[in-house]
Amino acid sequence: MATYIVRRILWGIALLILVSAITFVFFNVFPSADPAQLRAGRNASPQIIAYIRHELGLDKSLPVQFWVYMKNIFLHFNFGYSFYTGASVLSLITNRLPATLSLAVGAAVIWLAMGIPVGILSAVRSGSFLDRTAMGIALVFVSMPVFWLGLVVLFLFADDIGRFHVFPGANTYVGLTVSPWHWFTSLIMPWFVLAATSAAVYSRVLRGSLIEAMGEDYIRTARAKGLRERRVIFRHGVRSAITPVVTIFGLDLGALLGGAVITETVFNIPGIGRLNLDAINHSDFPIVQGTVILATLFIVVANIVVDIAYAYLDPRVRYS
Amino acid sequence: MRVSRSLIASMAVTGLLAVGITACGSSGSKSSSGGGSSSQSSSQGSSNGVQSIPLKAGENPVGQTLTGSTKKRGGTLTVYSSEDFEHLDPGESYFTQDYGVDYVTQRPLFSYMPNTSQTVSPDLATEIPTTANGGITDGGKTLTVHIRQGVHFSPPVNREVTSADVAYAIERAANPNVANPYFAGYFGAGAPAPLVGAQSANYKGGPIPGIQTPNKFTIVFHTVKPSGSFLVSALSLPISAPVPQSFAGPMDKKSPTTYGTKYLVATGPYMIKSDPKTGLFQGIGYQTGKSLNLVRNPNWNPKTDFRPAYLNAINFSIGGDSTVIGRQVLQGSDAVQFDTPAQSVVKLAYENYPSQITFTQGSGDHYVALDNASGVFKNVNLRRAVWANLDRAAIIKLRGGSLTGQPATHFIYPGVTGYEQAGGAAGPQVPWNKSVTGNLQVAETYMKAAGFKSGKYTGSATVQIVGANNGNDPAIIQLLNSDMTQLGFHTHVSLVDQSVMYAKYCGVPKQEIDACPTVGWVRDFADPLTVLYIPFYGPAITPTNNSNWGQVNDPAINSAMQKAALVTDPTARAQAWANVDKMLVNQAVAIPEDFDNQANVESKDVDGVNELWNTGTWDLDFTSLKNP
Amino acid sequence: MTTATETAEGAVDSVGQPLLSVEDLRVSFHTDDGIVHAVDGISYALQAGKTLGIVGESGSGKTVSSLTTLGLTRSKRSRISGRIMFQGEDIVAMDDSHLRRVRGNDVSMIFQDPLSALHPFYKVGVQLVEAMQVHRSISKSAARRRSAELLELVGIPDPKRRVDQYPHEFSGGMRQRAMIAMALANEPKLLIADEPTTALDVTVQAQILALLQDLQQRLGTAIIIITHDLGVVAEIADDICVMYAGRIVERGSTEDIFNAPQHPYTWGLLSSIPRLDSPRDEELVPISGRPPSLINRPSGCHFHPRCPYVRDAHRRVDPKLTPVDGSSEHAVACSLESSVRARIWDGIRTGRDAESLVRIAAASPEPEVPAAALEAPESEGTDIEPSEEGVVESERHGEQHLFTQPVDEVDHRLERNEHTGEVITGPEDT
Repeated sequence: MATYIVRRILWGIALLILVSAITFVFFNVFPSADPAQLRAGRNASPQIIAYIRHELGLDKSLPVQFWVYMKNIFLHFNFGYSFYTGASVLSLITNRLPATLSLAVGAAVIWLAMGIPVGILSAVRSGSFLDRTAMGIALVFVSMPVFWLGLVVLFLFADDIGRFHVFPGANTYVGLTVSPWHWFTSLIMPWFVLAATSAAVYSRVLRGSLIEAMGEDYIRTARAKGLRERRVIFRHGVRSAITPVVTIFGLDLGALLGGAVITETVFNIPGIGRLNLDAINHSDFPIVQGTVILATLFIVVANIVVDIAYAYLDPRVRYS
Repeated sequence: MRVSRSLIASMAVTGLLAVGITACGSSGSKSSSGGGSSSQSSSQGSSNGVQSIPLKAGENPVGQTLTGSTKKRGGTLTVYSSEDFEHLDPGESYFTQDYGVDYVTQRPLFSYMPNTSQTVSPDLATEIPTTANGGITDGGKTLTVHIRQGVHFSPPVNREVTSADVAYAIERAANPNVANPYFAGYFGAGAPAPLVGAQSANYKGGPIPGIQTPNKFTIVFHTVKPSGSFLVSALSLPISAPVPQSFAGPMDKKSPTTYGTKYLVATGPYMIKSDPKTGLFQGIGYQTGKSLNLVRNPNWNPKTDFRPAYLNAINFSIGGDSTVIGRQVLQGSDAVQFDTPAQSVVKLAYENYPSQITFTQGSGDHYVALDNASGVFKNVNLRRAVWANLDRAAIIKLRGGSLTGQPATHFIYPGVTGYEQAGGAAGPQVPWNKSVTGNLQVAETYMKAAGFKSGKYTGSATVQIVGANNGNDPAIIQLLNSDMTQLGFHTHVSLVDQSVMYAKYCGVPKQEIDACPTVGWVRDFADPLTVLYIPFYGPAITPTNNSNWGQVNDPAINSAMQKAALVTDPTARAQAWANVDKMLVNQAVAIPEDFDNQANVESKDVDGVNELWNTGTWDLDFTSLKNP
Repeated sequence: MTTATETAEGAVDSVGQPLLSVEDLRVSFHTDDGIVHAVDGISYALQAGKTLGIVGESGSGKTVSSLTTLGLTRSKRSRISGRIMFQGEDIVAMDDSHLRRVRGNDVSMIFQDPLSALHPFYKVGVQLVEAMQVHRSISKSAARRRSAELLELVGIPDPKRRVDQYPHEFSGGMRQRAMIAMALANEPKLLIADEPTTALDVTVQAQILALLQDLQQRLGTAIIIITHDLGVVAEIADDICVMYAGRIVERGSTEDIFNAPQHPYTWGLLSSIPRLDSPRDEELVPISGRPPSLINRPSGCHFHPRCPYVRDAHRRVDPKLTPVDGSSEHAVACSLESSVRARIWDGIRTGRDAESLVRIAAASPEPEVPAAALEAPESEGTDIEPSEEGVVESERHGEQHLFTQPVDEVDHRLERNEHTGEVITGPEDT
């Protein structure tokens, strides 16, 4: 098991480097704008532009630039500086990360808390009115675009622009350390919006998975042993059925930690997703590269964790 | 000047009722008188002991009261914008939103009252230099400016501002660590009348011989060629806001400079909240991408300034979705939106909150850039033909109706001196310009003049059209496309992201894009040169990041522009540029589409005032709260 | 084993009350295709410490009847009637919580495929501990020790290590032993083994059967062993019931069944057992045709479509289970005269060809058709050709000709209707 983990970690690092290289190539081979030119402004003389290019290190060959970049990361943990403001990319990211974490983790907790019970209930009472209604509602939510749902929720429930003044609206996010209560209330709607779609998906997946599990032979054995039905459902059924859910969850959360751009924009939460979007609009490459690496890191870590979790959950996997 | 992305992209407002608002536009008639006398009008009375143009209530063409007993002091205004600032260093700013902060925290030599888009007022300077008062001498090649006394920097610098600070502010602009985007174009190697010593392309900052400071409160500018009032107008840009060299000098050695990214001092009524000991504002008054807090500058002396500065604090809230922000402003309190409101918000405001929306004229224009250098539109008659056939009135409708603007008939737009002289609203009455809805017969005559006897294009070339894919642009491009194909042209349309359109296609001459239908322009300051020079002057063409999108390079036009650039008398100057405008129309170098209006929304308890020169958005020095 | 009428009350032999007495048990399922008559009136009894073999092919109702003994067929869609008397209490009428106390405690069951019947995610020891802790208060460590003892009891080497292993770490035979251990954890009086050796290879089969016999001797557990393979029960059963289409068509002691089988179906089963001493190239003789639909059963004798000796009257008369001459335990449900049967069996045994046997049957006098036996209500549908449902069912489950491993069982399908996702077996409360 230890060698397995080590191997996966090494793979993860290789993947990070690969993704960085690809992003690097994209930004340099298919530029949307020349950063030196953007900085120098209109009508800047070629000499000025060349000077700026030199200062930014853009006149070196691409492989050298990449090498310098990677070296800075691995040796000095330095992700470079914004072309625009000169702020350190790492500081920008650490500054924005808590908001994204708050959003992602909170939403994840909610969608699990919503999706799993509904999935179990639907499976156990499959075919019933409750099941059909729940799955119908789930289908509706799965189909909703996040952006639209976010706006609808705001226009209905925001206490400034909503029809019913219930929750704090867009742009009210504050850090947890600043004011826990406001942090919490400002995230209620964004959490819901993010969680709604996922909860729907998870309930459907778990329902299917649990129905299948409950048809397995070991369920019959469990009942034949005289176990109470509740125990049969949870200890024997859900225990088996939960593995695909765990797998998806890890990957979903990993992806979300890279920044939920749409939700962050609609609710104006200053997270990684928006940082990335703004940087792209400004062709501020170091920030983009930094956020891409961060997002990749989260996904790689999520993958590894999911694999380990899966091996923990399903002992048959450990021997492969 | 760069306007907000949302401004260029969505100077379009859809679905509005076609009720014309002419109330906001008597600036046309005003500008003609303004073009003549106003730039001279320096000391026509004073308030607060300051020599300035007196402000009359209701004089703002938007119909807003500017000063008076109805204004209340105090309170905090929230300013929403979905975009972040680009540069807070006045030496680097080149963006509408940055200017919004610059002009309340910094004092350039000259700036604008909110009741005029053309007339510069003395700000840090004591008066407008003219030939009459001896400010402009040596045939226009020397400009002498006197600086007010008693203007102080904010903490931690604190001391009084001197002329050396202004000199340093301008000299640091060419430093690549500062990289002012317009220095070369107005003061340096690319300027029609560069400062002496700065005209070389190699100049990279450092003392300019052409700037002298004979004493603490006098600064003298020498230009290579006569510049006169043009230089005065150019010095209304934030570049002339004083910067203390002892404080900023070491910072300017870093790349990029940390003055304006981490540290800043102010001379205006407000400052970015910062550490009083170090001037550090990054992380204190400014959270990148999140918020900016302005507080009163403790060292500001109101007696030295025309700005009333009613508000106690101004908080910018950055980011979010434009439709949400607009509603938050309309339905909330003590708030305004600074970037262009979304179309749905304008509609909502116009229908439900009419007292909370204003429209300012003269916020820029749009036109179809045609490739004059190669391809099909090298032929002037084909350009005239397409112009003749284009339905500009329909374009206005597509942008949202007459509230959003009026059809453009030439290139100097309302609010810029020379507008009336160049033909005003109707424009030069050349045949292809007469009908704003388009006239196929007239178009066909020019097709024939171009050699196509049938009146339709029969050649084999394909017209490459590249436009932006957001907002109403696709619909406008579609309109142009059909008007072109009606004349027999074969077209190929590409819709791309707006920044890509500029950076990769329309701004790159080598791409040889025949038509860029949704390019737009906003002037940099109150001189007509800033509207016509860079977009249509041959030598201004650059291989990348080119803003002369049509690669217009007509020797007669170039020479006329060079001459007009050096006219020092304002009236004559306005006329000279109006003549250039007529030449541009005559040569149909591009097809004007619309003269834009800017929509602005405010909360019900905000007594907002719109300035007119910086795309017509809110002037935070004059805005106040009704219930602070 | 009781006297052989289905209305008998479970009459006693000299030992005492039977441990288990099934009386006219009927189990049917309401499905979208119709009512499936899985068990159609069976009765049998089992004494403590004895072994009963229930033999039949897929769809015979053998598994359903055993599942019903544990109440595992209860659902919204099932109808159960009759009585299952266990230790004086009727399991059919028992409420769920009482039933749960019986399951795994007084009556245990082991299943065909131990790999899928054991939960793959829990260690074997944990599953054994669970089986114990549900029925009595026992500490975890005590239960673990007992688990190791149980594994040793069933002949698993190195039981202390094995207790902490997962089912997939066991070989097939060992898994089945572990299942047996789990079933015996609470010393049940009755162990029901549903095809316990079908999934195992032949040598391991023998070991498991030997194990069962051994455990019975040591613990005194009664065993019901369900199989399609007569050869399996030859070894260990005291008595045998042969089931077909939800009915018992013949029952008797093992000697009776093997020495003097009465029912043509039983003859077919016996003939299809491969024998080590028969020539290698001798063909196995399968019973032609496919198992009948339990929704639309054949008219008259349910076996008649496949019986080589069918007479006209057999299509109309549904024979009842009647005692065989001279025996108290041996009974058969067949319309052929017993002398005819005897001659046919003799012929089969001596290897006469099939045609001559058919002629014997054909030559015998036509049996009477009592008016009352004509067209009993449930005998709908056609005769020779299996009905549509029958075709569909057997297509789903593969050919059943050769009586080797069944691919799947109708019984199994009934437990969970995959198409509606409903779990049919299992109690109604959740």
